[in-house]
Amino acid sequence: MHLRIYRYDPDSGSAPTMQDYTVEPEAGDRKLLDLLVRVKSVDDSLSFRRSCREGICGSDGMNINGRNGLACLTPIDGLAEPVTIRPLPGLPVVRDLIVDMTQFFTHYSAIKPYLIEKGPPPERERLQTPVDREKLDGLYECILCACCSTFCPSFWWNPDKFLGPAALLQAYRFIVDSRDGATAERLDYLDDVYRLFRCRSIMNCTEVCPKGLSPSHAIEQIRQALLSRSL
Amino acid sequence: MRVFSGQVPWLLQRLTALFLIAALLVIFIALLFGVLPDYASWRAFVTSSHGATIVFVSYLAVCTHAWIGVRDVLLDYVKPLPLRLLLLMAISVLLAATAIRLLLVLGAALFV
Repeated sequence: MHLRIYRYDPDSGSAPTMQDYTVEPEAGDRKLLDLLVRVKSVDDSLSFRRSCREGICGSDGMNINGRNGLACLTPIDGLAEPVTIRPLPGLPVVRDLIVDMTQFFTHYSAIKPYLIEKGPPPERERLQTPVDREKLDGLYECILCACCSTFCPSFWWNPDKFLGPAALLQAYRFIVDSRDGATAERLDYLDDVYRLFRCRSIMNCTEVCPKGLSPSHAIEQIRQALLSRSL
Repeated sequence: MRVFSGQVPWLLQRLTALFLIAALLVIFIALLFGVLPDYASWRAFVTSSHGATIVFVSYLAVCTHAWIGVRDVLLDYVKPLPLRLLLLMAISVLLAATAIRLLLVLGAALFV
């Protein structure tokens, strides 16, 4: 297979280039990550992140033929050649396919991704009805791979101010959690010109999420929660 | 709701959009069924107190909707704050001037 991979080493002072590789899939190779590992065995200067190789860790997010996705979940079959592989767009490149995720995780921490106490802690666990638990489905599964946020034009325009779909999905995960006691504060934080309302419902996030989640739906739910509160 | 809320402009843009869709539908139906068949009947409607009020309120909705839309584009694309403020001010003045002009024209037609 013909791969065309983005190569960049900021320390070298050279401009980024696209390097061509030809690699033949071997028996058992199913996903794009398998091919990248084969390329790495030939050219160990190629840098990319990977860990679990099964769509759980979210570390091998990259732009594959113009679309963000996880290399470990992208089947080799059906990929148009040359397979053009670039780093996730909109974030500074550390090297080759590795991007600096600092901005992404700054937004994630800003939404306080943890339960905030309503009152004194219970003696045992915090109970939740099955109905309340179901509300977290489609939200808690996010693996923070950044495929959605880095494919969102609103995030490209205002990466420092717009929280991006991943952080907003996580924000809604805690807003809707019956055990959380800081819903009002969370909504106050999001009711801002930039943080939430730069979203234009372009829905690239939902389109590319490798886990099949819908950040744009979560964003809509936050808007509705804000509206219900105002009314 | 806060002064620099993101929700207020977002909500206003949607409410004005709904209002304008309804207004366009009414105009479309009026044209389709010949409720106001000629120029003279349209003129009579627009220069009546009810007609003038509807036209002016609709234009205010257009201005509000347009201002928020332009503001959104400027927030995304124009990063230097002084330039952004200048452009926001310019579009505000332009829209306000056209609204005042419409008010004067409608007022003149109404009270002649």
